[in-house]
Amino acid sequence: MSQYLITQFLNGLVLGSLYVLLSIGLSAIFGMLGIINFAHGALYMLGAYAAYTVVGVLSGNFLIAILVVPLAIGLIGALLETTLLRRLYRVVPLYNLLLTFGLMLAIQDAVRIGYGPEGEPFNIPSALLGAVNLGFTYYPKYRLFIFAITVLASIGLILFLEKTKLGSIIRAGTEDSDMVDALGIDIGKIFTLVFGIGAALAGLAGVLAAPVQNVAPAMGMSFLVDTFVVVVIGGMGSIIGSIIAGLIIGETLTIGVLIWPPMATTLIYVFMAIILLIRPRGLFGREKFHE
Amino acid sequence: MRRKYLITIFIIIGLAILWVPLVAAEEPVKVAILTDMSGPYAGITASNVEAAKMAIEDFGGMLLGKKIEFFYRDHHCKPDIANQRAKELYEREKVDIIIDVPNSAAGLAVSEQARLHKRLMISVGSGTTEHSGAKCHRYCFDWAYNDYMLATSVGLWGADNLGKKWYTITADYAWGHDLFKHFTAALRKKGGILLGNDNVALGTADFTPYLLKAKRAKPEVLVLLNSGKDGNNSTKQAVEFGLKKEMKIIHALLFVPSIRAVGPEIFADDYVAGAWYWKVDTPGAREFADRWLKKFGHRPNWMNPANYSATLQYLKAVKRAGTKDPEAVIKQLEGHTFRDLFANPGYIRPEDHMQVGKAYIFRAKRPEEIKEKDDCFEIVGTIPPEQAYMDPKKTGCRMGGF
Repeated sequence: MSQYLITQFLNGLVLGSLYVLLSIGLSAIFGMLGIINFAHGALYMLGAYAAYTVVGVLSGNFLIAILVVPLAIGLIGALLETTLLRRLYRVVPLYNLLLTFGLMLAIQDAVRIGYGPEGEPFNIPSALLGAVNLGFTYYPKYRLFIFAITVLASIGLILFLEKTKLGSIIRAGTEDSDMVDALGIDIGKIFTLVFGIGAALAGLAGVLAAPVQNVAPAMGMSFLVDTFVVVVIGGMGSIIGSIIAGLIIGETLTIGVLIWPPMATTLIYVFMAIILLIRPRGLFGREKFHE
Repeated sequence: MRRKYLITIFIIIGLAILWVPLVAAEEPVKVAILTDMSGPYAGITASNVEAAKMAIEDFGGMLLGKKIEFFYRDHHCKPDIANQRAKELYEREKVDIIIDVPNSAAGLAVSEQARLHKRLMISVGSGTTEHSGAKCHRYCFDWAYNDYMLATSVGLWGADNLGKKWYTITADYAWGHDLFKHFTAALRKKGGILLGNDNVALGTADFTPYLLKAKRAKPEVLVLLNSGKDGNNSTKQAVEFGLKKEMKIIHALLFVPSIRAVGPEIFADDYVAGAWYWKVDTPGAREFADRWLKKFGHRPNWMNPANYSATLQYLKAVKRAGTKDPEAVIKQLEGHTFRDLFANPGYIRPEDHMQVGKAYIFRAKRPEEIKEKDDCFEIVGTIPPEQAYMDPKKTGCRMGGF
């Protein structure tokens, strides 16, 4: 029984990892740019398709995909920010919602036209196939790999924000972008960078999810809804909040199935409602932030 | 003189009266396909438009002295759009029949429009048993399959050949629940036991907690009562966690495009039921599959010839009736036995308007067995129509009048 529980717990961590990668970007973009990016799920899906293109079509290595795809998706994100989103920062937030929602549909349909509605095959790379003995249980290598990459990416991101000058500018920008602008820093470029990083992380999540999920045009849609829940629980704009809430939601979905399967998916919304009642700004949300 | 004048008037009036039915008969036969061309089933169903076109072409393109008119509409897999399109087709385009309509809620909505407009509908794509059950009526026919047939045929066969200890994972909506009912009934009939079931929300990304629960129960057969994206996800993850080393998997619905989208190694040695396969020994099937390959670059799925058959048999019924009057055509279809490239033989039951034929059990081939890219299945069993379909006395259908 305990072995079974541990396996389920690990599954929760792995699922949570994907939520973490997605929600960090979503949360950071909201924190800095003040927009809710509905196209985030579509960027995640693009990441999976880009990985398929690298591995399946060009028969490249999976590791190359992990390095190249986030960069490519990050660039696409930066391009979207400079060409489209930038024009709407000063207007009512509703326009941003409409734009990103439209972008999501456009990207999804473009992929559907380009690759077809059925999806593409993508299997676990042979080097990461099979299970590894953890002493107390066997667990699929690839799932541990997802978790490891997420930990690395999260640590890297936190170090970048805390230890570098650029990181401190970004942090200052989320506090008060007008002030940063007044101090002579080109805040526009910082906005592009943040959107790009967020997109890159979504792309990375897409690459990592491709071998364990169905690579299909609509794959981002259902994931995005859960990711919003993660961001709300973690606190809008908080990276630590995203990491912790992401893992909590992953565990809730997985362990919930053991306790009461019909409630498992509902449980995360119940959880969100409780958090909103006790801490309306989420676990790590700050006061007076975009309010 | 005056008398002659009157006679001319009578002749003119007489001709005018005669002319009205003549003009009415001049209206061409109008056939419409209403299907999912851009929604979740599009990969399977969009090509049904081409199948119906081929049937009209093969029939000769002419009927009652007029060129047959063909329409098609996309319902995006949404019942409200299907309802609207059906209304437009019957009222504005004045079509005589609407064929296909995948998605059970959409199918039932269109069936209701058919009843209201007193025009025909043949459901091919929607799997609900209601068409030939509680919601049956004279204007609606159900072709090729329904959920009962899918579940019962592979259920009976699986209990005999794969094992009697089952675990089910069910898509948590009406379709999944309906399948669950029929699958477990088939299992009980064979004296098997159900070790457990989990209802899983549509669009769930991670099936691993459910799969691990199933693995712990140690069943001989895992039945996945889902389709499309959910079917692909759950199977992929079942392979990842090694479930297929310990048990066989039965699917509620599985098509070649899914296998090609996820990879044949994932679905290898899984089982599913279907109404047709392009390698089936029905006369004409292979020729049809060859034509399809030449035209579209891939082999047809079984929904394609089913739509071909529905279209063709409707046209033949109109020809036999000598009129496109719905009542006359319906009487021609009821109780009719036919042979075409889809059904050999096919029989349209007058009691519940179900078109019944043989059901086939397929095994998904392993990658090394696949010699041609679309040859993903091997036929491992055949279930006669009496076993594959519900006894018409038990369907709950009360046919009624026109």
